[in-house]
Amino acid sequence: MAIEKVAVIGSGVMGAAIAAHCANAGCQVVLLDIVPKGAENRNALAEGAVQKLLKTKPAPLTHSRNARRIATGNLDDNLDLLADVDWICEAIIENPDIKQSLYGKLEAVRKDGSIITSNTSTIPLGRLAKGMPDRFQADFAITHFFNPPRYMRLFELVAGPKTRPDAIADLRAFADVRLGKEVVDCKDTPGFIANRIGIYWSWIALSKAIDLGLSVEEADAIVGKPMGIPKTGIFGLADLTGIDLAPHVNASMLALLPADDAFCQAYDAKHPLATTVERMIAEGYTGRKGKGGFYRRVVKDGAKRTEVLDIASGEYRAERKPDLASVKAARKGLRALVEHDDKGGAYAWAVLSHVLSYAASLVGEIADDIVSIDLAMKTGYAWKYGPFEQIDQLGAKWFANRLAAEGRPVPAILKKLGGGRFYKEEGTRALYYALDGSYQDVPRPEGAFLLADYKRGRSPVAGNRSASIWDIGDGVACLEIHTKMNSIDPDVVAMLKTASKIDKQGFKALVIHTDADNFSVGANVGIAIFAANAAMWPLIEGSISEGQSTMLALKYAKFPVVAAPAGMALGGGCEICLHADAVQAHVESYMGLVEVGVGLLPGWGGCKELISRALANPKRPGGTMPAISTVFEAIATAKVATSAEEARDLLILRPSDRVTMNRKRVLADAKARALELAANYAPPEPVDIALPGPTGQAALSMAVEGLVHQGKATAYDGVVSGEVARVITGGDTDITETISEKALMKLERDSFMTLIRNTQTLDRIEHMLTTGKPLRN
Amino acid sequence: MKNVVIAGFARSPFTLARKGALARVRPDEIAGQVVKGLLERTGVDAADIEDVIVGCAFPEGEQGLNVARIIGFLAGVPIGAAATTVNRFCGSSMQAIHQAAGAIQMNAGEVFICAGVENMTRVPMGGFNPMPHPGLYKEYPEAYVSMGITAENVAKKHGISRKEQEEMALESHRRAAKAQADGKFDDEIVAIVDGNQRIDRDGCIRADSTLEGMAGLDPAFDKAGTVTAATSSPLTDGASATLVCSEEYADAHGLKKIARIRSIAVAGCKPDFMGLGPVPATEKALKRAGVKLADIDVIELNEAFAAQALGVLRESGMDFAKTNIDGGAIALGHPMGATGARITGKAAQIMVREGKGLSLATQCIGGGQGIATVMEAC
Repeated sequence: MAIEKVAVIGSGVMGAAIAAHCANAGCQVVLLDIVPKGAENRNALAEGAVQKLLKTKPAPLTHSRNARRIATGNLDDNLDLLADVDWICEAIIENPDIKQSLYGKLEAVRKDGSIITSNTSTIPLGRLAKGMPDRFQADFAITHFFNPPRYMRLFELVAGPKTRPDAIADLRAFADVRLGKEVVDCKDTPGFIANRIGIYWSWIALSKAIDLGLSVEEADAIVGKPMGIPKTGIFGLADLTGIDLAPHVNASMLALLPADDAFCQAYDAKHPLATTVERMIAEGYTGRKGKGGFYRRVVKDGAKRTEVLDIASGEYRAERKPDLASVKAARKGLRALVEHDDKGGAYAWAVLSHVLSYAASLVGEIADDIVSIDLAMKTGYAWKYGPFEQIDQLGAKWFANRLAAEGRPVPAILKKLGGGRFYKEEGTRALYYALDGSYQDVPRPEGAFLLADYKRGRSPVAGNRSASIWDIGDGVACLEIHTKMNSIDPDVVAMLKTASKIDKQGFKALVIHTDADNFSVGANVGIAIFAANAAMWPLIEGSISEGQSTMLALKYAKFPVVAAPAGMALGGGCEICLHADAVQAHVESYMGLVEVGVGLLPGWGGCKELISRALANPKRPGGTMPAISTVFEAIATAKVATSAEEARDLLILRPSDRVTMNRKRVLADAKARALELAANYAPPEPVDIALPGPTGQAALSMAVEGLVHQGKATAYDGVVSGEVARVITGGDTDITETISEKALMKLERDSFMTLIRNTQTLDRIEHMLTTGKPLRN
Repeated sequence: MKNVVIAGFARSPFTLARKGALARVRPDEIAGQVVKGLLERTGVDAADIEDVIVGCAFPEGEQGLNVARIIGFLAGVPIGAAATTVNRFCGSSMQAIHQAAGAIQMNAGEVFICAGVENMTRVPMGGFNPMPHPGLYKEYPEAYVSMGITAENVAKKHGISRKEQEEMALESHRRAAKAQADGKFDDEIVAIVDGNQRIDRDGCIRADSTLEGMAGLDPAFDKAGTVTAATSSPLTDGASATLVCSEEYADAHGLKKIARIRSIAVAGCKPDFMGLGPVPATEKALKRAGVKLADIDVIELNEAFAAQALGVLRESGMDFAKTNIDGGAIALGHPMGATGARITGKAAQIMVREGKGLSLATQCIGGGQGIATVMEAC
């Protein structure tokens, strides 16, 4: 039975955010909590939680209107709301007795065949199911989300011995396709996979920093980018998740794990880490949510600055930029880091040797294979590489030898592996080392694939150093950009042009997609500024013309083009999507025309496409100005949608464009969409539109003048947006005339050239290239 | 010539645009209920109404399609009465009264509904399709100057400090809050019914306003300026209506006369100093009434901005102690088309209440104009 209606019990941070994400998936959701003591509004908790969802950053909802899909209530009066629910997810306090008492109530109201799961972080399923009726045990599982649920992709799934296999299949399908999660099967052990390793990692990384005399900043400089960890590092992560959380989590794991587990062995309640944390909590230093944590922001002499806790003295001091040679050495790889002879290298080895050994010792106990463990750490803790991938980077044999040389135990799987690797490629296959010593194909959920799966062991149909075209089967080609941040340079444009004629090589559809984090951050402005500094204006204008004709070639190609963005699709990257017949976007697509940030305007048909769409939008009010104002605001303020759903509001996505929740299914969905369009395909007809010309431009100029007066826009913003206004109102046209697509693109090109000749635009580009931030000149 | 009297005044509560209770009520519906309320309260025989004249600053969208006629239908005005929508921006509904006065003296009708409406939530200031003349905008941008900037200009011209503006705004809120607490708005407000909801209380007044709170705001229109959101009238939703008729008709039908119109005037001024429009308009109206400013006991001067109102007080010599004694638009709100009928009705009502003889209602108008009405007790 497919899951359509969901209930979440418990409207705390996790419960509410899980409800939000189910609403993002398009489900109707019921969110219930207890009646607060003496409350006038008996639904205060759940209602308050939904209100909070709308204000939380990063946003748990992909669109604010999704909040309307969440019905709220309380557990005393509204249990009847659960009668037609397919899946009830419990996310209440971590107390097995209270949870079981709730389950008893749910049993009485839920329909046959509905599923109950717990979002417990640590309590084993066996404990929660113990003594419960058979009906309950057959429908019960653990579904463990990671915070924040919209963004963290891990979904740990634990089945009990009596759980119906079809209930597990339903949960798996729902979590994968609808919620977009990476479903990892876990065994029923304390902390499942990610927290089992993550809690140990946290203790080791924090305590070893103190043992080895590293400052907070130094430790975070190592356990950060060099080790493939988000830049918050380990102390910064503790501040983010809450210092007060650690003692609870540690205590819970200590109680559940056997005394000989490495975590119980490593943990020491008298360690300076434990006593420091205890004191910090007592004084209100619970992290970013409290007065601060290992880091705190203070205002001194009117300026904000960061202070750092000196753990030895217990005092805060000014932040110091760490200076460790090992951090630089890490650019050569993980091995170079741990072999470096400064304290950073020693620290990295201490952390990795413990954590990777621990992970290796748990294969078979917490999961059936190494892939699940790597996947859990990557998607639940945002590690760039899983433990076994890291061992491969170090060299499995080298790692085992060094452990042995230090007289430390070598995990059985490492001994068994000998001189091999945990992962390898053979021809077009990606393989992993299984428990039985054989190599097996790295599994993908059914129907999901990455571009890498088509690239492995094959050559592209066409390609240059910046972009390639791949055959992804069934007559569909895929254009991949592979520059830094997928920025668009002349080689990318050339390959797009090649792709626009790919039908000549027997293909019937084109998908534009990449496995990289970002679809494309836009045109490579470094090239533009180089040319501008040398006053090579014809070269710049030529590149704009070439980009424009390439976009038109894609739009009017004789076969369908589907753009499949994920991550950032900005500027020129967004313009590629705007010229595709269809967009199949990952839900976490961040799309926008951001050119004004570097003092330019969209020059590859972005202005033209958006204004044409806005005028054609049947929902807009009468007159041309509402449409023009909407587009003007989007371009002149460089608006970026923070989800694919929001991109619809900006008209970057059309109603016919589709959204995929699971990152690993985007390409598959895009390919299917391309094939769907390929049947009876006819290219779009060019649209002529009527624009108000100078009248509209005057109206927009008035609005901008107000913003400049108010100090909300700079004088140069006024100049740049004046050009945007000129283009999207159609230049010197009149409302009684129609203006062609090509004429609009000519306006784009002329305004682009006007702006790029202005030194203030060049200052903006220069600033963006050197600092990564826009200049407000 | 016939005498013209105001024989009834009613208005909806004024509530904040977007946040207030009237945001979700259509403007024609709000005004329809107010006119209906006015008819019931005055007891006028609706069959005698010549024309329904409704002022509206942005007569489009829900305020379009000759909204006056729609309001007449909604209020149950007999179909034999005509209806017209008039636009003089913020002065629209005072203009409605002036048109009725003129018609009565022209012997072109005895009884008129003179109303005004603006739902600034639902029809944005500037309208949905602002399309300025590009040539004029280039040659003479003052024609389209933003209202906030005109307030800054007046502040600069008269050296009005931000502090002075804030003190005036605070006083406006204090007076309005006191008048509200004393029940002084109860007679004029017609509760608006929206589904199960009954909206019967003004929503813009901030009894808890403080100078400290105001001092913390950023300038709203010019980063180097002195005018803030606290010293500007808020965007507001609301409607107002007056019953205007010949004195003979009122006497013959036993209507309760509130005030007799002595004189009316409009005047133009520089658009970038539009806030000072009341000065020349008042001068003309006083001259036509044959009275001096010192003779006026009650003044309603619309507070589009504190800087603008202070500028008018300074330039004309009006006494703030006699002006806006129940609070002004900074506290009550300024639903543009509805303000003129409100302040005219208000000046008349206060004159009766306080037992005074002469009153003045005047306001500034975007584009550079002023409008004024002088009334006397009946």
